Amino acid sequence: MANYGMAFDYKLCINCRACEVACKEENGIELGASKHRLWIDENDEPTGDFWNLDRTKSHFMQMQCQQCQDAPCLKACPHEAIYKDSNGIIRLYEEKCDLSLNCVKACPYDARYVDTRKKITDKCIFCADTRLARGETTTACQITCPAKLRFFGDLDDPKSEISRVLKERKHFQLLPEKGTKPKLFYLE
Amino acid sequence: MKVVEVSRRKFLQGSVALSVYATASLATPFRTNTTQTSTKEAEETPFLCNMCRNKCAGFARVEGGEVTKLDPNPFFPKSRNMLCPKGNAGINALYDKDRLKYPLIRMGKRGEGKYKRVTWDEANEYIKDKLVTIIDKQKDNRSTIAYCNGEGFNKDEYIQFFGDKLGSSNFLDEGSICLNTKLGATLLTIGDIGEPDIAGSDYVIISGANRFESLITPDSIDLIHNQQKLVVLDPRCTITATKADDYLPINVGTDLAFCLAMTHIALKNELYDKTFVEKYFEDFEKYKAHILKENYTAQWAEGKTHIPADKIEQITKAFFGAERPLYYLGRRSVWAENDFQFRRAMVLLNALAGSINRKGGIIFGEPIKLPKEVVNAPIYDQAEGRFDLDGIVYGANKGGSWLNFREKVLTQSSPYPVTAMFIRKHNLMQNMPNIAKTKKMLEMMDLVVVMDTLPSDTVLMADVILPECTYLEREDMVVSFNRLEPSLALRNQVIKPLYESRSMQDILKGLGEKLTKPLFEVSRKYDEDLQESIQELGEKKAFEEGGYDFTELYRNSVTTRNQNLITKAFGKEAYESLKTKGVWYPHMEAYHREIGNHRYEYYPEEKRHYTVQRDFKVKCYLKKLAKHGFDAMPSWRDSYDFNVPKGKFRLITGRNVTDTQTATTNNIMLRDLMQSNHLWINNKIAKELGIALGDKVEVASSIGEVQIEAYPTNKIAPNVVWFAHGFGVQSDELTNSFGHGASDNLLIEDKFEKIYGCATMHHTDITIRRL
Repeated sequence: MANYGMAFDYKLCINCRACEVACKEENGIELGASKHRLWIDENDEPTGDFWNLDRTKSHFMQMQCQQCQDAPCLKACPHEAIYKDSNGIIRLYEEKCDLSLNCVKACPYDARYVDTRKKITDKCIFCADTRLARGETTTACQITCPAKLRFFGDLDDPKSEISRVLKERKHFQLLPEKGTKPKLFYLE
Repeated sequence: MKVVEVSRRKFLQGSVALSVYATASLATPFRTNTTQTSTKEAEETPFLCNMCRNKCAGFARVEGGEVTKLDPNPFFPKSRNMLCPKGNAGINALYDKDRLKYPLIRMGKRGEGKYKRVTWDEANEYIKDKLVTIIDKQKDNRSTIAYCNGEGFNKDEYIQFFGDKLGSSNFLDEGSICLNTKLGATLLTIGDIGEPDIAGSDYVIISGANRFESLITPDSIDLIHNQQKLVVLDPRCTITATKADDYLPINVGTDLAFCLAMTHIALKNELYDKTFVEKYFEDFEKYKAHILKENYTAQWAEGKTHIPADKIEQITKAFFGAERPLYYLGRRSVWAENDFQFRRAMVLLNALAGSINRKGGIIFGEPIKLPKEVVNAPIYDQAEGRFDLDGIVYGANKGGSWLNFREKVLTQSSPYPVTAMFIRKHNLMQNMPNIAKTKKMLEMMDLVVVMDTLPSDTVLMADVILPECTYLEREDMVVSFNRLEPSLALRNQVIKPLYESRSMQDILKGLGEKLTKPLFEVSRKYDEDLQESIQELGEKKAFEEGGYDFTELYRNSVTTRNQNLITKAFGKEAYESLKTKGVWYPHMEAYHREIGNHRYEYYPEEKRHYTVQRDFKVKCYLKKLAKHGFDAMPSWRDSYDFNVPKGKFRLITGRNVTDTQTATTNNIMLRDLMQSNHLWINNKIAKELGIALGDKVEVASSIGEVQIEAYPTNKIAPNVVWFAHGFGVQSDELTNSFGHGASDNLLIEDKFEKIYGCATMHHTDITIRRL
């Protein structure tokens, strides 16, 4: 029993994509550019002329399911196939999914994709059925990251590293105006 | 780049399969997609990665004999508990469906790809027959056989076999198409190749080395985490440049001018470390007088580099004002004819700042010394010396000069003919400029034997293909890493070799058993020293004491050799640690501790080898260079100026984070991330030429042309174009990569600098035509 969340020291990212490969290998995510539980957004390429580039706004953003406390996908599913597990992770009853795609459309973060092998909609579940199920306490993306920019842990445990870092550092969430209450945080 | 890497791989059909004559297939799994790890019991075996030159450490998860996941190893100081995208994708190198599975002998023409499957014994027998004829014809001149190796691990053992035992002096490696000028410049200037201490530095300048896309451990990782000021010079705005505090776009090949101006400013304003200079420099006054006389001012350098003079002044003052500045020497292919001088100018700048043998500089450190296994090597009276360093001032005695070697073989101007080649993990048909010449050289050979894991362009030129296993299927001899935070690391075997592939040691053992006696007989025929020795000692003793037995090296397995060597030198616990954790260094248990979020400290600050007792000199003036008509001190020559004729572009090369030259090109996961390479062209110029994103263009140089898709961007200079090395393979046996992208070495004109004999890569001008 935990309330898992993730925080990103996002400015450290060099877009090496080790996280993406580790996730695909660990969780058996099918190949294909549009098939991924996580990806890196390449934001604000340098602007201006080559000899005078403005790089100040360039950064990479770690994107994946935001583990909303008020999850639009969960509410959108007509078959109640989406649920929150005992660790606060938004999961899917695979057998209930009929690819109505309501969840895909409902997600403001574009976090879901269609897994054509399993014929379900899939997204990041913090390695819940692989690493966490084996009793490990890290996610595949987190442990392999060269920058170690991903903090993963129990938000309800004040002693966890993620709780500490969220207490110490300013952070923001994506699209707070949507009222989804994400459990993913970006550290300033 | 997301836009252009859209479609998924196509599996090509109807190609002439390497296994076309193969009669049976083994039921071994290969992967065409990913598989999920399970919650079942699994073994975790420590391994060392081989997806690039770094050798990062990891643990392999093995479920029921299948490798299902590779995770980073927290114990290895060098790789800092991480695996990069290539390291993570290593599983697909192991389970690549295109892997070489059995020994093969060529049936059709070279390059045609028609082979028949044979047993290991048949392959070795074939090689033996050919070699006996070849060496007999050359009257026991063993150097008629050239041999090369592109992989760091096992290189020395490979040399022991073909150099010491077989007796050829013609060994070639990747150094002369990689970084020999940098190694040489450092060695000749401060007496050691050193190691950069990025983590300890507070101000780092990088010329062109793309540390965030061409990952080097621990350098790249330390660059992410440490809060040093970072200045990057590059004709292309790479991710390293994007992340820098200061990015200085620069004309191609003019970094030397920037360094000379920095030197000028430092000397003129006396910014340098006077105590250090006094103590360690030789010919300082000569260097100072030279730099001041040549008047390498910031204004002068602006004209050469396109970097504003005031910026050069500002950077120089910040560099010399920093507490522990480092001009990072790079680790990259050689760019221009001035490369050696450029690398030396960087070393001298570090020395002027006192950044040698101290924290944050180029450190000497204390590597852990491994005992050597002694080999009894025969002396072949008839074997001649190498010729590829003729006309080269220094050159690397070990790995030679590829382009000089190839040219001499092609023009038949070598002192004796080279008639056979043994090639291991070295993709000659893709890795050096002017592929047509390499092809011609290989076609001239009476015998070409290739050991590799995948059917590369070079493999398709082989007469005999010997399938080597991948790094996950073998144990290698223990290796000593690093100097500041030294450690030993062991590549353990994760699973047994798949198909009929073998480790290099097992391949050479089999070959050695076949070759020993027949080649001894050839020597007996021509070698007068051996004839005398036989008369004196009798045949048996002359053979044994002369060291003619090839298999001497492989009497014990690698596992036994490791156990004996490690236990004897470092004790049982060290061996135990290397088997279970993959890593060992003195006091590891006590020193190794987590510092937060899965990052570790490996040595406490006071135990790191920042400064060691050592007598060394900083040499400003190299007499040997002057003697050969080269500049004894870093200087600028008019021929170094950057000029591109109107309507042309300068082609530069480099790589993506997802690839290591051509070795990773067929990896399904990496191709899924980045299917192809693309031509970076300045966006304004592209607009003028009517070239849009994804348009196919023809790129032509004086030696060839390629077709590639365009990527217009503001991140490259107007008269420069770039595309990543490693694509455009010609082998249709590499089904995941064939048909994707273009090969730079079809365009790059073959030229080499004359101080180390290194191929230069950034001198070719090209034209572009929209198709």
